[in-house]
Amino acid sequence: MKKQYAFRVDAERCIGCFTCAMACKSYYQQVDGVIWRQVYPLDEEIYPHRERAFLSLACNHCEDPACLNVCPVVAYTKRDEDGVVVHHQEKCIGCGNCIRSCPYGVPKYNPVEKRAEKCSFCHERLDAGLEPACIMACPTEALQIVDLAKLEVTNEVQYPAGYPKMEKLNPSTRFILPKAPKMVRR
Amino acid sequence: MTKQGNSLSRRRFLQGTAAAGAAAMLPCSLLVPDEAMAEAFKAGEFATFRNACPRNCYDTCSIKTYVKDGVVQFIEGAQESTFTHGGLCVKGYSYPRKLYSPNRVKYPMVQDGRRSGKWRRISWDEAMDRIAGKILEIKEKDDSLLGLGLTKYSGHFGITNYVVEGMMSSLGYTTRFVGTPCWPAGIDAQNYDLGNMWCNDPEDMVKAKYIIVWGANPAWCSVHTMKYIMEAQRRGAKVVVIDPVFTQTAAKGDVFWQPETSSDGALALGMARHILDKDMVDRDFVNSHSIGFDDFAEYLRNNVTVEWAAEKSGIPADQIREVAEEFASADPATVWIGYGLQRHVNGGATVRSIDALVAMTGNVGKEGGGARYGHLQTWGFNYHAMIQSPPEGAKGFIGGAAKGEFDFTEGDAASYSNRTVNINKTAQEILDTNDPPVRMLWVSCKNPFAQDFDRPKLEKAFDKLEMVVSVEQFFTETVANSDIVLPVTTMFEEWTVNVSYWHYWLGINEQAVKPLYESKSNIEIAALLSRKMNELSPGSCTFPQEVDTREWMAKEFNKGIYDYFGINDWTDLKNGPVKAKLTSTAAWSDYKFGTPSGKYEFRSEQCAANGHKALPEYKESRKSYDEFRLLTPHTKFGIHSQFVNLDWMQEYYPEPFVYMHPDAAREKGIADLDMVRVFNKVGEQKVRVKLSTNVAKNCLMMYEAWFGKGTDFNVQNLVDDESADMGAFKAGAPGVAIHDQFANVEKA
Repeated sequence: MKKQYAFRVDAERCIGCFTCAMACKSYYQQVDGVIWRQVYPLDEEIYPHRERAFLSLACNHCEDPACLNVCPVVAYTKRDEDGVVVHHQEKCIGCGNCIRSCPYGVPKYNPVEKRAEKCSFCHERLDAGLEPACIMACPTEALQIVDLAKLEVTNEVQYPAGYPKMEKLNPSTRFILPKAPKMVRR
Repeated sequence: MTKQGNSLSRRRFLQGTAAAGAAAMLPCSLLVPDEAMAEAFKAGEFATFRNACPRNCYDTCSIKTYVKDGVVQFIEGAQESTFTHGGLCVKGYSYPRKLYSPNRVKYPMVQDGRRSGKWRRISWDEAMDRIAGKILEIKEKDDSLLGLGLTKYSGHFGITNYVVEGMMSSLGYTTRFVGTPCWPAGIDAQNYDLGNMWCNDPEDMVKAKYIIVWGANPAWCSVHTMKYIMEAQRRGAKVVVIDPVFTQTAAKGDVFWQPETSSDGALALGMARHILDKDMVDRDFVNSHSIGFDDFAEYLRNNVTVEWAAEKSGIPADQIREVAEEFASADPATVWIGYGLQRHVNGGATVRSIDALVAMTGNVGKEGGGARYGHLQTWGFNYHAMIQSPPEGAKGFIGGAAKGEFDFTEGDAASYSNRTVNINKTAQEILDTNDPPVRMLWVSCKNPFAQDFDRPKLEKAFDKLEMVVSVEQFFTETVANSDIVLPVTTMFEEWTVNVSYWHYWLGINEQAVKPLYESKSNIEIAALLSRKMNELSPGSCTFPQEVDTREWMAKEFNKGIYDYFGINDWTDLKNGPVKAKLTSTAAWSDYKFGTPSGKYEFRSEQCAANGHKALPEYKESRKSYDEFRLLTPHTKFGIHSQFVNLDWMQEYYPEPFVYMHPDAAREKGIADLDMVRVFNKVGEQKVRVKLSTNVAKNCLMMYEAWFGKGTDFNVQNLVDDESADMGAFKAGAPGVAIHDQFANVEKA
């Protein structure tokens, strides 16, 4: 398998603190309403306590990305060296095909630029030997970077409950499921 | 830290990509679309500065700030600190927006009529003219400056910001709002038991075999400590979280106890009784390093049973026995005592009973153990900015003045002193204080309308004041109730130095960018005021009229600080934060306690002399005065009234909610996301409801926050100013029973 960088989202460690999301926003200073990384609370049917377990999600850097496939102007590329899916905003014509096609809702419309944009895996930081801003920021190491080619799967899952199962796209993100403590209530 | 699975460790990752990085640094070329790529990040393109988050927070993160073209481009956590490990928190990463927020107070302004919103820009000179003129008028009228009040607390904990107190002292004797709404009952309790508030290095929690997080929510309020708790867990420690709310921290524990709010003392004593019955007391510690244990044991045998504790708390007796036995057999075992659990009329007594539980099991003075609450070990600065002399001939209050917990000054022998009033009863004190009344109030590093209690009463009290000056960054509710607002710098625009009351790191705060608009630091404001005072009335203010804020920061250091942290000069801190050179990660490792007896005092005569029980006895909680208990803790998106007003934060936290148990809601005919009215004897608040079993059926919870100008959400509409039991001993005034509040709710 070729090298494929992926986010490893450990919901057992994740404290839903939104630090990753704000680190991303702070680093790129996205315009109002544009978010590259969001922290989603799990539904009570999935985790029994409201707003106490989360999935931190950004671009899944898919093996076969829908955004790339539907883009009419080749504004998306997938890097050979690490599988990171890059959106080149200078080439984007703002047609919205990618926004409509990504089942994970990743590309966002930037109303100022009038073009799409999305998580870049901080490839400019990767290329300098640095971690992405979100991963560097995570206080519990719940968010990590892994190479799927080298990942020995232990308890990771690809499609946790609540996350769309899109096998054709083969999203790279991997998840560890959250746990709940023994409850002693009055 | 060990890493799970096959993920790349931070260091290995950096090594692995160093070589590949060079190859990937191809020049950007738009002619070859498939290769078009932003260039690799180049740290060398930025000037970097050291900053420190000055909020009232356990973590007090060291920040590395990247500046280009005189503008902060981005920030990150200092890599040098093992505590922050290169990261900040959701609040910390929003700082660039705070600095560059279009909503900042940009110039000195005057309001034509309080709450009118009719603000006019004035010059600094005119602002100082109005302020100095008023001060001199008060002096003329009252023959003292006791009519000038200062309310200041923890809005900016940079050490040089104690200049605000210094500025007041340089004018004469004034009225000071003293005390703290935060943690004073627990401080007193630890002082009675141990002789000081002094906690282990939080990084040593990895060594604990058993951790009880009791009334603290580090997953929101100290995110960087969570990794130590989780690491202890991975090494086999059991983590029990005790909280009236199923918090995010509770979700990460092994066991969650949800007792009746304010019954924690009964729980701790029930556990103590069981440990006594099981003969699991650490006799070596008790015999050699404590006094009064036999009296405590007798109290337990005569007054406490596990069943009684179960009845009081709602936690089943078999659970209390199980956890008590596990805690007593684990070595070391530790309790993190949160500030929330002492914000009660029995808060100090509760902390004393938990201290006793930790001590009787021999966990005091042990690495990985301890009754962790906080410390001020690293705060040994000169307080040069704070210590200023009154002008010659200044008259003041006759009689003793109370001192706050951060007041490290020695008392002076002058016959006059400041007049001290209780910061936790701001409204009542303003209304009640006479001869002379508080005529003018200076507000700095504090937002009384967000933090002080009984907001409706506070508005009445402010209306009694002849002039209110707020030193602020945003147009808060307090500013709306002020006459003059002065724009103050953020930490990126000034020099200062910061330490934590939790971890043992020291970080410098450099001026990274020039102050925006016309903002000035508190030191510069003091100098400006002094210039104007002396211009209008020579000799009326002793504060230096020319200041260099970098020099003033340097003047806070001394040999004690340098030795404690193992540095030669403060400039060493430009290379990153440093940690204290601790001989042990444990507090009290030599068992030399600061109490009158020099031992751990299960029986404290000092405590009895101050009007409490000598033993850590159970104290009843406050009687309910309404249908639901009301809790108003922190949100993860802000600290008190800071951060939630920023548009960046509102991307993730756009509106407040009250949380309510679904069963209680059903009885009231309330559905999820309904707009409701929460009301009690203090006031009311309209807000949307979220139904959740995270709160108990008899409980309503809303997170304190200020959502920005034009919004009316304020939990202080529902919180009265009832005092906690302790706090006056070390913090100058009793604490406040923030979580002993009650309210009702109906569909709006």
